[in-house]
Amino acid sequence: MKKAKSGLRGIIIFFICVIEIYPLFWMLTASFKQQSEWSEKPAYALNSGFYVQNYVDAWTRGHMSTFFKNSLITTLVSLVFIVIFSVTVGFAVTKMKWKFQGAVARYFSFGIMIPVAIALIPLFQIYSRMGILNTRTCLILTYIAFGLSLSIYLVTGYLRSFPDELMEAAVIDGCGIYRLMYYVVVPLMKNAIVTVLVLQFFFKWNDLLFSMTFISDSSLKTVQTGLLYFSDEFGSKNWGAIFASVSMSVFPMLILYTALNKKVMEGMTAGAVKG
Amino acid sequence: MKKVLGNKKAIALFVVPALILYTVIVMVPVIWSLYYSFFSGSPGLQWEFAGFENYARLFRDKNFFNSLTVNFKYIAVVTVGQVGLGLLLSLMFKFWLRRCKTIIRTLVFFPVVLPTVAVGQLFAKIYEIQPNYGLLNSFLSAVGLQGLVQPWIGQASTALWCLCIMDIWVAMGFYSVIFYGALLDIPDDIMEAARIDGAGSFAMFKSILLPLLRPMIITSLVFSFSGTVKMFESAMALTNGGPGSATKSLSMYMYDVSFTYNKVGYGSVIAIVIFLICVLGSFIINRFDVKE
Amino acid sequence: MKKKVLAAFMAALTVTAMLGTQVVSASDFSGEDPQIEKKIKILTIWAEDNDNGILLNKICEDYQKNVNPNFDWEYEMVSADNLQQKIATLAASNDLPDLFAYEAGAPLVTLIDSDKLVNVSEFLAETGTEQYLNAGAGELMKGLSGTEDLYDLPLGLNVEGFWYNKALFEEAGCEVPATWEEFDAVLAKLSEAGIQPLTTGGSDKWGATRLINAYAVRTMGNDIMTKTANGEVPYTEEGLVAAADKIAEWAEKGYFGEGITTVDMNTAGSMLMSGKAAIFYNGSWFTQNLTDESQNPAGKDGIGFFNIPVADESVSSATSYSMNCGNILAMDKAKYDDGTKWFLKYFMENMGNLAMEEMGTVKGYTYETAAEDMDPYTSLVLAEIDKSTEGFAWWEAKMVSEVSKIAQENVQPLLNGEMTGEEYMQSIQDVHDMQ
Repeated sequence: MKKAKSGLRGIIIFFICVIEIYPLFWMLTASFKQQSEWSEKPAYALNSGFYVQNYVDAWTRGHMSTFFKNSLITTLVSLVFIVIFSVTVGFAVTKMKWKFQGAVARYFSFGIMIPVAIALIPLFQIYSRMGILNTRTCLILTYIAFGLSLSIYLVTGYLRSFPDELMEAAVIDGCGIYRLMYYVVVPLMKNAIVTVLVLQFFFKWNDLLFSMTFISDSSLKTVQTGLLYFSDEFGSKNWGAIFASVSMSVFPMLILYTALNKKVMEGMTAGAVKG
Repeated sequence: MKKVLGNKKAIALFVVPALILYTVIVMVPVIWSLYYSFFSGSPGLQWEFAGFENYARLFRDKNFFNSLTVNFKYIAVVTVGQVGLGLLLSLMFKFWLRRCKTIIRTLVFFPVVLPTVAVGQLFAKIYEIQPNYGLLNSFLSAVGLQGLVQPWIGQASTALWCLCIMDIWVAMGFYSVIFYGALLDIPDDIMEAARIDGAGSFAMFKSILLPLLRPMIITSLVFSFSGTVKMFESAMALTNGGPGSATKSLSMYMYDVSFTYNKVGYGSVIAIVIFLICVLGSFIINRFDVKE
Repeated sequence: MKKKVLAAFMAALTVTAMLGTQVVSASDFSGEDPQIEKKIKILTIWAEDNDNGILLNKICEDYQKNVNPNFDWEYEMVSADNLQQKIATLAASNDLPDLFAYEAGAPLVTLIDSDKLVNVSEFLAETGTEQYLNAGAGELMKGLSGTEDLYDLPLGLNVEGFWYNKALFEEAGCEVPATWEEFDAVLAKLSEAGIQPLTTGGSDKWGATRLINAYAVRTMGNDIMTKTANGEVPYTEEGLVAAADKIAEWAEKGYFGEGITTVDMNTAGSMLMSGKAAIFYNGSWFTQNLTDESQNPAGKDGIGFFNIPVADESVSSATSYSMNCGNILAMDKAKYDDGTKWFLKYFMENMGNLAMEEMGTVKGYTYETAAEDMDPYTSLVLAEIDKSTEGFAWWEAKMVSEVSKIAQENVQPLLNGEMTGEEYMQSIQDVHDMQ
């Protein structure tokens, strides 16, 4: 009975894994397909050969090497700030005691509710007046500012269930606020930070709207722009190359994430929560 | 303790830089567009003061109400689906999984990281009917349900639900990871104690886990809600608002109005409506939080 | 009497004065290029290594190398979907690029009305480059903007019509139809032979509205959509309803197969080439798919072309084609100066030949050279363009953007049978009335 039950559980979990992983697998096969395969065979069919030309196209025509570098710089810089700001602001509005605590928290949470497209024209004018249009700076600033609301929101969610006792103990031991943050809060927030990090990473990584609006210099454009090279005026699309680009931009990140995630998880379980 | 947490200097240092950045880059443009909402046309292109004309127009606009309806249906299904299934998955990971926890936890996160274009294309292929049956139609026809084979995203009756399924699928892994994180933070001895007291699975969920998870559930609901109100990219990628306007959301309509019709002023009004729906919805969801 | 003489004299004076200025300005641009230092920005929807992207970059490069070493350019591409958003954003900051691709018809008219664009007719007269513009293309574009003067330059001169799979026609024993009756018969015959007769890009929408247009124009005249846009004829006119019904009827008969609204132009094209459908409406730009061997299993001679069949020769003739200039090129008025003019003069003089040499295509400029070993599809298209005596625009060309959006969106319910032809036309009329 018990065995059957755990067998059933195993099957369900396996099934879930399949539906979660299948798209990656599919994307990989799709990236090796020739254009004519798309209509001749069903989409779930395996690629009939390895049409590597798609990757060559994606790399050279899609300017992947340049765009990759740009995306990496803008994304990483903005992530650093997003994490710093979201942890500090998140901590200040949930655990610290001051007058406008709630108001500021709510003010930041408005950001989640704003439809991004409406900010484009005003923002463009602001940047244009500041003279930072078409620079990495303006893209980084936009990424940070629009990433803040959600990140702070997530962090506060975690912090609300954060045990006060731990902090108290640290304070009794003579910790100031900065030491408390650095040695107690941040290590315990690793899980939340990783979630923010990963989520924001992929949001920024997949951004097209901002980079297309604010950046006109092709040596500064980001990785999603590369996809544009494979569709044209009248709706013709080179899907093989598009998926090759997507695969190239996603897989290195996934590997990084998998490696990182495991490490952080280990740190988590060995951390202070148990103690 | 109080002194440490009331450190004014530290608070200023923690909050002010982010506050300034956020105000200049997010809030100023929003207020700016509020000002835009009193103009007709698009800045620089037939830009004229129009008073409340844009607001009056809203109530006569059939397309707006159509998008509103579409959007509400979508919100209802997707918010519940994402958070509910996410919670279910996380419980499964916590209580059923013995091995490979980390790997599976990592795997379920994957759909979130895929560019929407890729996900949209994948699902378009799954629902495909012409030139070849996609996964779904092939399956139906293989198990003898030929009658159910249909253009899933090509007809008004099913397109929106197909879109909902896609978006639930994309995000449920993400929510499960969030909930799983929160579940890990619940000390084992609490659950152990409950189990010794003879609580069944469901009772334990209801009386122990649910109250402890409530802040996280509320957070997730608000997050999912405000994401779904702004539904845009996924619908663009899967159906492009079609067939007709069966999957056209408020944000898509706003984008059309602002940039295709060159009526940024009127677009701003729609943006304000979206914003208000978000605020109102989040407020209602947060009401469930006070009982704590 | 005296007065008359005076008037004549005055008139003569003015004429000489006008001639005088013209001579002066013409001489301005007839000599050597003054090599003005100039950097222009170009915003388009083509990658640097694709279609017009190649040509624009090549012509800038040539101009810099051969004529004006002080010239420089910056090339930017956005996706076609975001072009209007980008232009709107730039226009809001008075920062339009020197040259940019845009959509002809209503979108362009908005910019013309806001006085954002260079008057191209004046530019052509000033620099004496009128003869380099294909007259037909010029007329077509003026017609689309509904203006006396020209405000854009063409980046294509395309004819549209039906591409068909020769093998499938042979299999079903069909001949190329010349009249609409024959066309209906061909469709029926193909369908009986178990071949899907038609395909179109129902998810891209414009592919499907082109079909309505085809029937409407052939039964009601080349200028029917101009008349409706001007309000002379209502969109709910019987003949237009019949045109919409025609397409709905085809869909109902299953000529498009199942779920045509989910098929995009790309897929539709490959269905034609791989023999899954027999007929596909598209423009001459489709040759770039046809000539790509990895895409076209039908080979160099597998696909043919026929113009939209005729219903009544006196209403719309067999040599009138649906034509367009693709996405056009417009120039920002604020940044327009002598440097731009000299560059554009070079552009006018060389674009025709360059397009022919590099790609074997006609872009709407006159040319003298011929491309070497042109492939059969390209020469087929050139032959069709040569045959044309008259052009008409597409379904949404004259509609303002709100109307055009509805016309496109609702074609999907029309194809699905969720809307009748009458309801479809009424929905267009409703939005038209609101404007």
